[in-house]
Amino acid sequence: MKILLFLLLILFPPQDNIKIKDAWVRPSSEKMSSALYFTIENTGESADTLFKVDSDIAEKVEIHETYTEGEMMGMRKVDFIAIPGKNSFKLKPGAHHVMLMKLKKDIKDGNEVKFVLYFRRAGEISITAKAKQPN
Amino acid sequence: MIKIKILITLPIILLAFISCQEKLPLDKDLTKKTYQLINQDSANVTFPEVIKGHITVMGFIYTHCPDICPLTTNNMYLTEKKLKEQGIDDVKFVELSFDPDRDIPSVLKEFANIRGISFKNWMLLTGEKSIVEDLCKRFDVRAIKTDEEFNENGEPSYSMMHTDRISLIDENGILRKNYKGSTLNFDEIIKDIKTLKD
Repeated sequence: MKILLFLLLILFPPQDNIKIKDAWVRPSSEKMSSALYFTIENTGESADTLFKVDSDIAEKVEIHETYTEGEMMGMRKVDFIAIPGKNSFKLKPGAHHVMLMKLKKDIKDGNEVKFVLYFRRAGEISITAKAKQPN
Repeated sequence: MIKIKILITLPIILLAFISCQEKLPLDKDLTKKTYQLINQDSANVTFPEVIKGHITVMGFIYTHCPDICPLTTNNMYLTEKKLKEQGIDDVKFVELSFDPDRDIPSVLKEFANIRGISFKNWMLLTGEKSIVEDLCKRFDVRAIKTDEEFNENGEPSYSMMHTDRISLIDENGILRKNYKGSTLNFDEIIKDIKTLKD
């Protein structure tokens, strides 16, 4: 089995066309919610898809988008974010973000939080996001 | 001669008054009804008495919101900071939670503390659900629970769809203008606050 996996990795190596930049997370308290933001850069020719984010920091981690209906605003879960080849996608306040529900501990200004991002082509990418308030 | 002067001056004063009214479009007297609320220290407060005599920037939030309400709170925080840089330190900042079931005083206090908010000019309010809903209606603020689910301990988890709102209230308790809370234009609200102070 290990040999098979090794051969598969040789034949189909994970692509490193996805770069994650400017990852930051919003400070918040234990049991409360927060959000993770970052920019995905796809330097490859093919599109890739972010479909899952994991972290030990929260009970639940989901990809969400903020939407507007008249004067009302809300959030809803999205299944994935597609990034076309030679393009970038910014997760930012008031738009797409990774929602962190029921934090297991406080996230204070300056803290570093680890996440794993799952892409269809690029596979798993581990990142560290620093906690800060937007200026 | 005096009559001519009056005839010239009066339209100028009227024009200035009209122009001032255009800048601050609302004129809703909030003092006609009072609301018994609780602040972040569990102290009883009567709204709007508690803000009377101060120009007040008021935001509407729920603390479990991960994206929109923290933006609103941060925009109020930055407004206060920018005002202080211009020597204005007497504006009050009030946030009312439209999620009183979860936003009890200790939760509100922690929400402010972790964001470095000083309670010198700030107050976070909650209260009985019916009173909070009534006050939100007064400001035409709506909030609806969405995606409610319960974990294995029976604890509820939900988001809220809500009006994205910051309001400006003058020192007589009159609502003068509404803004989008999450995308607040700092120059606009600071200019309006200065208009109220003039």
